[in-house]
Amino acid sequence: MSMSDTVAQMAPPDRPDRRPPRRIGAPFLTTPALVFVTIGLLAPLALMLRNSFNRFDPAELMISAFTAENYVKFFTDAFYQEVLLRTLGISALATAICLVAGVPVAYFLARHVSAFAKRMLLIVILVPLLIGNAVRTSAWMLILNDRGVLASVLGVFGYEGPLGLMYTATAVTIGLVSVLLPFMIITLNSVFEAIDANLEDAAGSLGATHLTVMRRVVLPLALPGILAGTVLCFILSMNAYATPVLLGGPTFHMMAPTVYQQVAKAMNWPFGSALAFILMSVTLILTVGVSALVQRKYRRWSE
Amino acid sequence: MSEVVLQDVAKHYGDAVAVRNMTLRIADGELVALLGPSGCGKTTTLRMIAGFVDATSGRISVGGRDVTGLPPNRRNMGMVFQNYALFPHMTVAQNVAFGLEMRKVSRADAGKRVREALARVRLGQYGDRLPKQLSGGQQQRVALARALVIEPDVLLLDEPLSNLDAALRHEMKIEIRQLQQSLGLTTVFVTHDQDEAMSTADRMVLMYQGGVEQIGPPAEVFGRPRTAFAAGFLGIPNLLAGRMTPDRAGFAFEAGPTVRLQGQPPIAGRAFLALRPEEISLSTEPPATGRNALAGRVEIMTYHGSAVEYQLRTDAGPMLSARLRAPGLGGQPVLPGGTAVWAHWAPEAGVLVNEH
Amino acid sequence: MGNAQAKTIRIGYTAISVLVIGFVVLPLIFIVWMSFFSNRILSLPPEGYTLDWYRRAWQMADFRNGFFLSLRTSLIATAIALILGLPASFALARARFPGRETINTILMSPMIVPGIVGGSSLFVFFLEVEFLTGWRIAGSSPGLIAAHSLIALPWMIRLVTTSLIGMNPSVEEAARSLGAGPLTVFFRVTLPVIKPGVIAGSLFAFVNSFIDLEKSLFLVGPDRTTLQIALINYLEWNFDSTIGAVATVQIALITLLLLVTDRYAKLSRAF
Ligand SMILES: Nc1ncnc2c1ncn2[C@@H]1O[C@H](COP(=O)(O)OP(=O)(O)OP(=O)(O)O)[C@@H](O)[C@H]1O
Ligand SMILES: [Mg+2]
Repeated sequence: MSMSDTVAQMAPPDRPDRRPPRRIGAPFLTTPALVFVTIGLLAPLALMLRNSFNRFDPAELMISAFTAENYVKFFTDAFYQEVLLRTLGISALATAICLVAGVPVAYFLARHVSAFAKRMLLIVILVPLLIGNAVRTSAWMLILNDRGVLASVLGVFGYEGPLGLMYTATAVTIGLVSVLLPFMIITLNSVFEAIDANLEDAAGSLGATHLTVMRRVVLPLALPGILAGTVLCFILSMNAYATPVLLGGPTFHMMAPTVYQQVAKAMNWPFGSALAFILMSVTLILTVGVSALVQRKYRRWSE
Repeated sequence: MSEVVLQDVAKHYGDAVAVRNMTLRIADGELVALLGPSGCGKTTTLRMIAGFVDATSGRISVGGRDVTGLPPNRRNMGMVFQNYALFPHMTVAQNVAFGLEMRKVSRADAGKRVREALARVRLGQYGDRLPKQLSGGQQQRVALARALVIEPDVLLLDEPLSNLDAALRHEMKIEIRQLQQSLGLTTVFVTHDQDEAMSTADRMVLMYQGGVEQIGPPAEVFGRPRTAFAAGFLGIPNLLAGRMTPDRAGFAFEAGPTVRLQGQPPIAGRAFLALRPEEISLSTEPPATGRNALAGRVEIMTYHGSAVEYQLRTDAGPMLSARLRAPGLGGQPVLPGGTAVWAHWAPEAGVLVNEH
Repeated sequence: MGNAQAKTIRIGYTAISVLVIGFVVLPLIFIVWMSFFSNRILSLPPEGYTLDWYRRAWQMADFRNGFFLSLRTSLIATAIALILGLPASFALARARFPGRETINTILMSPMIVPGIVGGSSLFVFFLEVEFLTGWRIAGSSPGLIAAHSLIALPWMIRLVTTSLIGMNPSVEEAARSLGAGPLTVFFRVTLPVIKPGVIAGSLFAFVNSFIDLEKSLFLVGPDRTTLQIALINYLEWNFDSTIGAVATVQIALITLLLLVTDRYAKLSRAF
């Protein structure tokens, strides 16, 4: 073959500028966003962590120091521990309710509803989620207050006494559940959809009742996803601000409103910062711990 | 003139070699099929020609012009992708017009050429549809029209038929070949289906582990595979290891017996005798002299509609498969498993191939 | 398993779902309904219907200005999220590079860090910058917009990245081989193909910025309150259907935006 001849006669290589453009280093495309998040979130958080070791002074606001006194104050003052315990208790309760109420709805949407109806129902569920805390809690105030919708409805049945629901733990729990449920339902719905429906039919054809199918097949498979949804709900309710403030009233203290109160009203930045980090750490430790525990149990299940 | 020349083209991904020193010359108007098993470097080769992959070394030229460093949009090549790659947000006509628009062809002129291109692939009525409103075969024809309308120097097709069902694949195969011939387009066609390569290509390039195993017209490659891999890939299951006898007229199996060869080029060292199952006859009596024969025993017998396939264990050791016409179609009566038989073939039916 | 049993199960699930979804949605239905009551004090049954509350809400400067401030802030925040988020999404979806996971986590972190914590740290940060430099950021427009862009950014990146990952890459190569240069490919092919993701990302970014309460709480100034802050400020002292009217407008707006988004993207994928 005369290949080498042909190649020798080839036109000279094109000008260097006609080489394909080198791809701009991809990581640099993230730089503007990264800088923005670093300045807007990471740096303030770092500063906050540092501030939590400073000393508060009513005249000077903050005195640079390196002291653990803010953390000590939290763990020696029964008031703040009670706030944390109340936050934990309400969050656990609200999450549990969401789990129990969310599983059947998510399963229903995944298995028993046409594609169009599901799309519409998802929007119906998403509106309360994306409507904002201010509007949602005011809607609940409308229902729960002593002369509100619930009282009027009960009045029809002859109940006349004051409801006394507003500004209670019950009201806060109701409010939290109503915002967390959509999250739970949407998360669990995708989890159930990822499970092959044939598995359930297979189990059913082997003689398992529906409850057995759920307990032995669906829930074990869905467990990691259920765990993720539960953790999400728990975190969100640990950090809830608007619901406890508006439905719990001025004397019902939870963590996030207390952080706001310390930072923005009392201007006690060191203590407010310490509170914020205690809140985040407790939430993190609990969710990681519970996830690990559940996953250990899950592994035993699947053996 | 759009002769495509690849000179010592190689592509390395780190330590892995996707294509090793490939030298290939595709004549103007020729259709060359790149054939080979998965991962052998077909797509990489095609994408280097298209300009999507930079060659690690070597040069590529089209019509005497070195295109090695040119970006894909300056190469004037039409490419058809395995998954069609139609623009989902444009109508069929807009898809086809895109390349003309890039070439700043006037609106009126472009409209005319788009209509012609769509008519050529028999989709004249579908200009206003969106790709998702078309069937797979229709989408593939749009992709073809879109690649052809720009009057490319080279047409590149990467497994264009693999997403179609068998009937459509056959139809499209013929259509592509007819279009290519009537337009006289230099074409590279990637496939891992030998029938596709056989029925479309002027020449085929058999690739294996990044290198060229054999190049030639399909009939030649099929008839005279040169390596054990080529023979195996082209569907010859019987590969018997051995050596040519010094007089070059015989082949000594490693397993023992020697058979006669006829019309085979000399090969030094270890080689294989490739035997197509259809070339082998079976008989319970020793065959006539003049035919090569091995004694053995039927191990497995399976029906395949018009044929019966036998797996034989030869007395010398190696397995042989033979494919005979079914008894209903004039073939001999079925030989049940365990039958002692002679497998025999004409000396010119055996093809001698290199180990590598 | 009998058909009757399957039917019972179905009815059971339907009943529970109606109750649960009702619990979530009914409060909103009530607030919309009652915003038309003519009752002075909010209670059932209605004494008559009126549009007065809407007129009143419009006449209240806090609500009117709050609405426009929120609108403007969220629009600008969405635009900033678009500008910062598009390139980042491309890098995250298309390239493999060391640190990619870390960068992704950092970019998503505004979604993960609790609003109150993020808001208070930003507030303190702004004030400390002010002590040092004299620039007033907390309570200013730029400060508020920065906080809202931070809310919007992760939603944008999440949805755009998803649609980029779902895009067939040979479509871009096809355009290249047809003669389009990199910029033409981007504007004529890539952007139109991922348009649904960009729209969904923008809408989620906008909505989540619009309804934000926790971060804004720290950053609004005396005469620049967002609509959400104006709402809870009003709730502190009053409870009448003016709230209902404002809430109804917001519900209508957000439902509309969700319906629009639904046309372009699978909503559940955003979470
Ligand atoms: N971007 C890449 N990075 C690393 N290795 C690659 C890359 N692209 C291809 N390869 C490797 O190069 C070799 C050849 O790949 P190529 O896609 O060309 O094969 P192919 O012949 O087209 O196979 P198939 O029939 O499966 O499409 C393979 O081993 C593949 O793993
Ligand atoms: Mg390939």
